[in-house]
Amino acid sequence: MKPTQTLRCATVATAALLTLSLVIPVAHTALAASMPGKDHSHGGGSEIGMPGDPGKVSRTVNVVMYDNYYEPEAISVKEGETVRFVIKNEGSLVHEFNIATGPMHKAHGPEMMMMVEHGVLEPDRINWKAAEAMQKSMGHGMHNEPNSRLLEPGKSGEIVWSFPKHANLEFACNVPGHYDAGMVGKIKLSH
Amino acid sequence: MNCFRSLCLGLIGLAVASGVQAGEFRLTVDPVVIDTGEFTRNGIGYNGASPGPVLRFKEGEDVTIHVTNNLSESTSIHWHGLILPYQQDGVPGISYPGIEPGETFTYRFPIVQSGTYWFHSHSRFQEPDGAYGAIVIEPKKRDPFRFDREYIVQLTDAHPHAGSRIMRNLKMMPDYYNRQQRTMGDFLNDVEKMGFDAAWADRMDWGQMRMMPNDIEDLQGFTPLINGKSTKQNWTGLFKPGERVRLRFINSSAMTYFDIRVPGLKMTVVQADGNNVQPVTVDEFRIAVAETYDVIVRPTDDKPYAIFAESVGRSAAVRATLSPKDGLVADAPEMRKPPLLTMADMGMAHGDHAGMDHSAPTGMAHKMPDGSTMSGAAHDPHAGMNHGSPPAAMAHKMPDGSTMAGAAHADHAAMGHGGSGQPGDAFYAAGSGLMPSAANGGKFLSYTDLRAMRPLYPDREATREIELRLTGNMERYIWSINGVKFSKAEPIKLKYGERVRFKFVNETMMTHPMHLHGMWSILDNGKGKWDPVKHVISVSPGTTVYMETEVDAPGQWAFHCHLSYHADSGMFRKVVVEGGPGDKRAALKHRHGG
Repeated sequence: MKPTQTLRCATVATAALLTLSLVIPVAHTALAASMPGKDHSHGGGSEIGMPGDPGKVSRTVNVVMYDNYYEPEAISVKEGETVRFVIKNEGSLVHEFNIATGPMHKAHGPEMMMMVEHGVLEPDRINWKAAEAMQKSMGHGMHNEPNSRLLEPGKSGEIVWSFPKHANLEFACNVPGHYDAGMVGKIKLSH
Repeated sequence: MNCFRSLCLGLIGLAVASGVQAGEFRLTVDPVVIDTGEFTRNGIGYNGASPGPVLRFKEGEDVTIHVTNNLSESTSIHWHGLILPYQQDGVPGISYPGIEPGETFTYRFPIVQSGTYWFHSHSRFQEPDGAYGAIVIEPKKRDPFRFDREYIVQLTDAHPHAGSRIMRNLKMMPDYYNRQQRTMGDFLNDVEKMGFDAAWADRMDWGQMRMMPNDIEDLQGFTPLINGKSTKQNWTGLFKPGERVRLRFINSSAMTYFDIRVPGLKMTVVQADGNNVQPVTVDEFRIAVAETYDVIVRPTDDKPYAIFAESVGRSAAVRATLSPKDGLVADAPEMRKPPLLTMADMGMAHGDHAGMDHSAPTGMAHKMPDGSTMSGAAHDPHAGMNHGSPPAAMAHKMPDGSTMAGAAHADHAAMGHGGSGQPGDAFYAAGSGLMPSAANGGKFLSYTDLRAMRPLYPDREATREIELRLTGNMERYIWSINGVKFSKAEPIKLKYGERVRFKFVNETMMTHPMHLHGMWSILDNGKGKWDPVKHVISVSPGTTVYMETEVDAPGQWAFHCHLSYHADSGMFRKVVVEGGPGDKRAALKHRHGG
């Protein structure tokens, strides 16, 4: 890679790490620690692929989130490819970028609704105090899945994902109402 | 480059020469025949039809609309929900004198918004007689939701009687159209059987008692239409399975609220009164008179779906069809049982008898349907009163719990309305007989579910509060505000630049859709800066609802209950805005927040 590209990659990586550290604050390690034990249907099964090795990334796809849609509207990847997604929220509401199948997205809806009802998910921000309280009373609060990023307006995040051979995948936002309003796109897998 | 420029200039020249440019429209107001398949009646339409043509505007353009009156009486057209200079608002006596027979009036105004709206006559009863149409305004930026095709779904409550006749009958006998009790035919039979005096006395007794359960619909005997078609005529919209379909619901009725559902499909509400809301998915919603709701549905099966609108009083319903191909008809569901008003709905209605003294309820006895008599003192003025900003948890205790066990309320309990387990809607009195519930047991949209996508105004404290008591006298069919009807009232004076908080206190047993022209109504539903921006605020019996208005439109405006026969009988005010953008004093006040 050219020196400028290396520098840009490093900057992006640092920025992403910094942003990730904001999304998963140190004070909430309790949250992170309790995640693996939870029975999530979309934790990291090979049905949808799995977290990828940053060293094996073949390309970077930039995704911008608006109210309430994505650009681009669809993404094409090769079977088995490892792709880095750089996600930026340029809308005025909290949005999610989540890689899963249609039924999994549907199942994710009620959890997000609970976050709204517990005051964790406000229209334009994530309420960390409420997330702590929900964590204490329910055993989960801030969702931290490797296949999704939940971002406040103006924030960025990154997912490195290794795609499986065969799957019917969508990227979508499961903030209540957003999927139904059309905030979902196809991931086209090709040979 | 030169060639291109000449071509452009040439095209512009052509457009100017042709006479009707983009953004220019011609409407004629005509006598038409309304044919619902159930009855025909002479009515009024636009460009020879009712509903009139769909007007399509673009946000940011200037529109010119020539309106020619082909009637033998004066007419007007009001653009419902549009923000425009007050002289273009179309209300005779407030915006302009109206449009005389044979006259052509030209409206000119800029389009500063987008979404679904409608237009209608503001003269006498021309709107109930058929003078209404739809407005679709395309946004400058893309919509914050996706859809593959769209349809307007415009409702009305067409009646075999002309509007002026209905008003005369209501004035003569307020329960004239209350079909769910007894009809004129029954009355005449009784006159034959027992003589006029006895029959009349019986009706008057009933008049007092039936005030309790059946005041939901003043006007029954109508045939509801969707886009001008009854169930029999079956308006149909086509779709391809899997498509997202946007339905622009407009309630252009004179008097009727509808509960809307599409059995088998959820609806995602994306706009209310033309303004984007944060999307919320529901199974059913209630649309007040003059409101609009835009929803997205996604029919996936290769079969017809019913768009079903049931009047809230359950006296009539209409079914339209969404179909994958021509010629298919969706089954219309059965109508549900009519609801009964409860004690909670009567919470603040201290008297529908002669005289409108609302301050001294003592001594007024009400005869209950089960024969027992309730003394006036039992009316705790605070019973059932609901405030617009709801607490997180709703308690469902009855105003005086024992009465719910009464024989008269047994039917009500069996219907499963109110606090039977469904979380209550904070915009209905706790225990209200009108509490909505979804036919399939799912989610019913509440005003508390509405949140603006993007607030139109910065959130700030109101500079003052104005209380408007919604009042009425059913015996004489006079509807009013603060006990005073329009013809005897002073205008409401507002100052340009202030933010007024309106407090609606519903002291009647009917639901009133309150409509302020020219300026937005920001509904206080406890969402703070996300409070939804509307143009119609529905106020249920026994409740208090708050809304705020940024007074940023100079001139004078109508403010009224949008139930046609209520507005005409006095539930109406003129609002005068003093000052304007050039007013230094108002500007100072505005900057300092009042």
